[in-house]
Amino acid sequence: MPQSEVTASRPQRWDVPFGDAMREEDVDQLLQIEPFLGMDAERFPAALPLRGILQNDTRVNHYQDGAIIVREGDYGGSAFLVVQGKARVVLAGLDSDVLGRQPDAKPGFLNSLFRQFRNPQLPEVRSHVTADTDLVANDSLEVADLAQTRVFLQDVPRVLENTRSVVLHTGEIFGELAALTRSPRTATVLADGEAVLLEIRWQGLRDLMRRTEALRRHIERLYRENSLRVHLRETPLLSNLPDEHLEAVAEATVFETHGDFQWHETFDSSASGDAAEAVVAEPLIAEEGSTCEGLVLVRSGFARLSHRFGHGHRTVAYLGKGQVFGLAEAIQSSLKKSPVPMSNSLRALGYVDVLQIPQSVLEEHVFPHVSQQLLSEAAEKHAVYCGEHHCDLQSDSIGGEQAQVETPLLEFLVEQRFINGEQAMLVDLDRCTRCDDCIRACAATHDNNPRFIRHGFRHGSTMVAHACMHCVDPVCMIGCPTGAIGRDRTTGIVQINDLTCIGCSTCANSCPYDNIRMVEVRDSSDAIVIDESTKQPIYKATKCDLCADLPMGPACQHACPHDALVRMDLGNLGELSEWVNR
Amino acid sequence: MKSFVSRRLSSAALTIAVLALLVFWAQRQKSTLGDASFGTGYVLLAAIFFLASYNVRKKLPTLPWASSSDWLQAHIYVALGSAAIFGLHVEWRLPTGIFDSTLAMLYLATFVSGIVGLFWTRSIPARLARVSEEVIYERIPMLRSQLCERAQEAVLETVRSTGSATLGEFYSRQMHGYFEKTRGLGYFLRPNNRVRRRLLAELTEMSRYLSPPEQATCEQLFAMVRRRDDLDFHAALQWRLKAWLFLHIGLTYPLLAVACLHGALAHLFDGGLL
Repeated sequence: MPQSEVTASRPQRWDVPFGDAMREEDVDQLLQIEPFLGMDAERFPAALPLRGILQNDTRVNHYQDGAIIVREGDYGGSAFLVVQGKARVVLAGLDSDVLGRQPDAKPGFLNSLFRQFRNPQLPEVRSHVTADTDLVANDSLEVADLAQTRVFLQDVPRVLENTRSVVLHTGEIFGELAALTRSPRTATVLADGEAVLLEIRWQGLRDLMRRTEALRRHIERLYRENSLRVHLRETPLLSNLPDEHLEAVAEATVFETHGDFQWHETFDSSASGDAAEAVVAEPLIAEEGSTCEGLVLVRSGFARLSHRFGHGHRTVAYLGKGQVFGLAEAIQSSLKKSPVPMSNSLRALGYVDVLQIPQSVLEEHVFPHVSQQLLSEAAEKHAVYCGEHHCDLQSDSIGGEQAQVETPLLEFLVEQRFINGEQAMLVDLDRCTRCDDCIRACAATHDNNPRFIRHGFRHGSTMVAHACMHCVDPVCMIGCPTGAIGRDRTTGIVQINDLTCIGCSTCANSCPYDNIRMVEVRDSSDAIVIDESTKQPIYKATKCDLCADLPMGPACQHACPHDALVRMDLGNLGELSEWVNR
Repeated sequence: MKSFVSRRLSSAALTIAVLALLVFWAQRQKSTLGDASFGTGYVLLAAIFFLASYNVRKKLPTLPWASSSDWLQAHIYVALGSAAIFGLHVEWRLPTGIFDSTLAMLYLATFVSGIVGLFWTRSIPARLARVSEEVIYERIPMLRSQLCERAQEAVLETVRSTGSATLGEFYSRQMHGYFEKTRGLGYFLRPNNRVRRRLLAELTEMSRYLSPPEQATCEQLFAMVRRRDDLDFHAALQWRLKAWLFLHIGLTYPLLAVACLHGALAHLFDGGLL
């Protein structure tokens, strides 16, 4: 007869350190170099000491000449400090083949067939847990990563020929932006000669930055020096600007942060307050009717573009990373030689990082280098025309793909913050027969445990189901003490490492969309696993993993007979518009 | 993304083209004094096996084969085409023998159930979507029971606080059964809002005799009656969407068995299976 309960020790942060080679003397050495030398160990709480962070959230990596440290496009989970030697940041995109990318191995037909028959009968069985064993095993992903074979760039001078690059020296940090904003790396970094780097897990970096103002300033300065120019080059009209003028623009660019980084703590999707008041309460970046003061570039986060209508504000579009605001007005102001009022307002949705280029700098360093015709075309392209019923955007008008989606649907997506979803599950209720084939397929793929609920917020016949949306800004990752929830390095899929999840529910509580479920787990003998000290069940966080290991993608979408269910990037309004108007 | 209209047109064109080829082949056989019945019979049997295999595909969702949506499209057009092949096979006459008539009836019943199901799967979801609340079928009994408890609680509380039994008596006489019992088969076959309209009208009539606190409870009851009706509507239509599929699949297996037997007998009467 199987046991009904089995005890295990509750997992803790640092049960699985980032690397196993950090000895006490290594930590002592680190504390002798900047930026750790300048840190006040007293500012760290006893439960989270500076030494502990360095010992458990960092590791020392040795690289040979030409070894790839990070690859452009990979999702970052850590930052790097150059301890010894040099690193070269390659600013132009390199081919996947050159970077040694390998396609993920997918299971074959027979494996896919048999996995379904191997599924346990009871829910949430963890086959790796047996009675009287520790619930925490080695984090195979990170351990494998530590021992991984490094990829080298062959014939570095030839590959980097005609490619812009920047050299980072001892004491410099890189990769922090991707790690902290949970976004893809913007450049490839190679070892320039033999190099020793300290890799800092993002949880450790977060805790260091929280308690060290100097580190925060240091990282901002590095961004200004290294990444700002890349960002500016990607902006319309600035891509072909002569270097000395781009330098002047970079010097004058102002960094601004609007909203709250941890916006999810105050956001309540079920609140049914006054929508007009809610819009007004959003942090204002630029106001309709005010004088144009320059160009706004969205660096990360989302902002609402709205236009006054009646007693409220009608949403015209939402802007995300890389999109621009105010270009049409800036050009018109320059052409007319007098300031033009802004035709729309821009407000932060939760949290947004923007760069502001002042109007005077645009007029002095940018517009003189662009032909009148190009300026007029850009002004026309970026203009937004608002009529009585809706506002018209030109295609590709704000630096990204924007298409016509009816205003109420747009308002709904913005109000509920679904714009954050890169793989949101949309259900067309006009086609969904409620057959639950999607649920069954999901369960069959996940050991008989469905990882979503076919229920959620509705707008007309469109429903956004409770399934992980693999957000652009996955706020669920912010508070995770062990880093169990993180992005897959190459695909960006937000995954939970069951082995290092301590069941603290922080991610589930942080998810503004209620898409993470905490479940009691069973061991291989079907007994519920309980904590040996408290005798309470041990929970694990579960959610949709987008069926990353299936060759045909998400099983739910693949199993829908009526084309009612789709996984979609809600930041891509063109795709949404096409789906709605099929 | 391909629009539904263009998908429909291309699938229909392909089906018609394949059927035209088959008709041409059958006519050619006939004109050369040949026998097309074995050929059309085998094509029909293959089509039926293909149609039945969709259920197997649904049961094995982890396999990397075409999406369920593509399978359903193929299922629909092969099924529509199979009707023409069936006509060609029986030479547009109903069979007279008991065995062949049974087989023909089984095929026609399966085909008609499929057509009716197709109509329902295309029309019922939109009707369900018009209801303000989206409900998961398995949760409906729980939601009904919660609603019944809330209604009863609200009325009892009002009776306790006002000391008046007017609303309580009305509730126990006219409304308690509505909240407590499930709807009959008639409603499941043809859902309508007659009971809802009657109850709301009676409640409106009653409200003129109620005190302000009772009227406030009455307002709550209005909302609860509507919600209960919406739940029943969802239950009836979602049940129908599940029940037709049960019938359709249930007919498939005897059809397959009898069709195989028919083929074997045809060969035996034609001079042996080999």
